[in-house]
Amino acid sequence: MRKEVPIVICAAAALIYVLSTFINPTTSPFLGKLKGDLDTWYLLVYAVAFAVGLINLAQIHLRKVTQQRQDWQFSIVLLGFMATTLIFGIFTTGKGPVTDFLYQYFFVNPRATMYSILVFYISSAAYRAFRIKTFEASILLVAAVIMMLGQAPIGEVIWSQIPKMSAWILNYPNAAGMRGITIAATLGGVATALRIVLGIERGHLGGGGE
Amino acid sequence: MIAPNQTWTLIFEAAFSIGLIIMITRSRKGLKVPAIRKVSGLEALDEAIGRATELGQPVHYSPGIGDFQNSQTLASFAILGYVARMCAKYDTRLITTNRNPVVYSVTEEIVHQAFVAEGRSDSFVADDVRFMSDDQFAYASGVLGIMAREHVATNVMMGAFWAESLIFAEAGAISGAIQIAGTANTHQIPFFVAACDYALIGEELYAASAYLSKDPVLIGNLVGQDFGKIFGVVIILIGTIMATMGNNSLSALMKK
Repeated sequence: MRKEVPIVICAAAALIYVLSTFINPTTSPFLGKLKGDLDTWYLLVYAVAFAVGLINLAQIHLRKVTQQRQDWQFSIVLLGFMATTLIFGIFTTGKGPVTDFLYQYFFVNPRATMYSILVFYISSAAYRAFRIKTFEASILLVAAVIMMLGQAPIGEVIWSQIPKMSAWILNYPNAAGMRGITIAATLGGVATALRIVLGIERGHLGGGGE
Repeated sequence: MIAPNQTWTLIFEAAFSIGLIIMITRSRKGLKVPAIRKVSGLEALDEAIGRATELGQPVHYSPGIGDFQNSQTLASFAILGYVARMCAKYDTRLITTNRNPVVYSVTEEIVHQAFVAEGRSDSFVADDVRFMSDDQFAYASGVLGIMAREHVATNVMMGAFWAESLIFAEAGAISGAIQIAGTANTHQIPFFVAACDYALIGEELYAASAYLSKDPVLIGNLVGQDFGKIFGVVIILIGTIMATMGNNSLSALMKK
């Protein structure tokens, strides 16, 4: 029963979603309402799960502080900011100068910094990938050089055909490969969904494959 | 009756699903199932976990940042189940990090069940299944910290990834971890291919549960999936030839 009931619920919910996608909403408004209700229920589940997640986060870091494990000072910072954001979020309903300040200066900037790190990581990953060890790596390097020169003004100065070559690589071999992967992955996604709906794959129920 | 522009999608999806069900039924009856090709990324999972065991360092698993409804996240659960079982078997520490709170609840249960199934429920550490943050880059910075502090020996990333994919993969490479990653997000695949030791490309992620379990029913489903692909290729070829000859009726028909 522990496995069967969730499978039946999952199959019923999946059927509602599939039917509401393919059946014209004007012919069956009830189905649309049912799907809307399911979406609302998911939000409720998400909210409850979020609280569970917060408790997990707080527990881990509180334990780290009380046991004074390695780098426990950082956990104090995390817990402090978590509590401050939570308190001001609750009492000001997410609006007001303090919440704005916290968001603007303690959230947006670190976020942008993390994103910026990608620039350096792209360089180091490219360095490793472009080292000519194999025939494939050589093709990758040649294509990458053409692409980079094609995107920069210097490419056209070196040879007027470079931007055209770059566009050709992007629009034909690259697009064909990407579309092939996308089509296969989409079919894989449908097959996975069907396995879950039929109860063949039960990984999401916590028990591994079967 | 049928929603606008959905007729052919419905026909193809229905035909594809029927094909899959036929293949699953055949497999259940015990009819011969074709062998599936070797997927090096999945073959390497045992070796990667073995390395972490030998070094006495943890394995890190990320199910990506997709929601619970994302099919890549669902496919990732099967791989997590396998990785957790292997870690439980060899008494290797497994750190699972999550961005989505619903996914976190599920991964905690998967890891717990895997340890129970291997008779190692006492080795399960609830603190090692962690909810980091529901913000993409806060999650990324948390994972970066774990990789650096905990000296992760094996980094497994399976699921839906976006800009954080390269951040994780490079952090793993810097810490010297053996890395196996898989995603169906085409814009992130090149990063995984460039930065990881093994990469599952697109549909290989969805094939993982069948591959790892060796279950004939799941393998039958894979075979059905391949027939769907062959059908897709045939339609694309016919459409391309027709369009080259100036006849766009097939592509016009598909838009209905």
